[in-house]
Amino acid sequence: MIGGVPLFDVLMVSAALFLAGLSGALLRRTAIAIFLAVEVMMNAANLALIGYGAALGTYEGQVLVFFVIAIAAAEAAVGLAVFVSLFRHTETIDVNKINLLKW
Amino acid sequence: MERLTFDLAGALAVLFAFVMVAQKHPVKSVLSLVVSFFGLAVCYVMLSAPFIAVIQVIVYAGAILVLFLFVLMLLNVPQETREKDPRPIQRWLGSTAIIVFAVVFVGVLARSGADIPPHAPFDRTAAADIPALARRFFSDYLFAFEAVSVLLLAAVVGAFLLAQKEKKP
Repeated sequence: MIGGVPLFDVLMVSAALFLAGLSGALLRRTAIAIFLAVEVMMNAANLALIGYGAALGTYEGQVLVFFVIAIAAAEAAVGLAVFVSLFRHTETIDVNKINLLKW
Repeated sequence: MERLTFDLAGALAVLFAFVMVAQKHPVKSVLSLVVSFFGLAVCYVMLSAPFIAVIQVIVYAGAILVLFLFVLMLLNVPQETREKDPRPIQRWLGSTAIIVFAVVFVGVLARSGADIPPHAPFDRTAAADIPALARRFFSDYLFAFEAVSVLLLAAVVGAFLLAQKEKKP
């Protein structure tokens, strides 16, 4: 129990979010949508970290989530720049049509 | 009361995450994710992590998703079309992987946390203490904190170089 919230609820919400992200990453075909789904999975992990941190009564969960968010920001900036660059070359960001390592 | 609020906010976050997956239009995907992240921020408040809730709204919903929207605007991404999927086996394999993973994952998580004592000493006011969290960042985690600033600088420079138009030789 974390101030009235059972850890079980936290973990189930986290699992459901992770599955939403996983299904997005596996079933969507636009590169940006896949990237968004990865962000959802990262948020699911964040929620689990906060839940465990609060259940154990430490700050370490929050500290770790802070660093995860900072790295997610860096990752989003670089990843989206890659998509812009990719779009310049191939005129598409459909992952089914991006099938060459060199062009 | 806390539990009800958490469950409602969590259900909202999960619902809009699935709307994001089902939505074919990329801009609508991003906007439904904004709603999902707001729901998550409420969850963080209920878990007495108000600082994380605030940076979730400011950094995730405010900065990262706006970056996504800007890139969608620049690229003018069309809606996904489903008419002629060149590799239908991908969808079957993907769906199977999701179902298998769901069963295993929920099974493991449902059992996890049982070894944490049910009444672990947790001071609600103490964990919500933002100055104490700040003290952690500037003492125990100072090196990681400064390293993150260098990482963000590197990411900015890298993103700029990658997105730049290639100069004709």
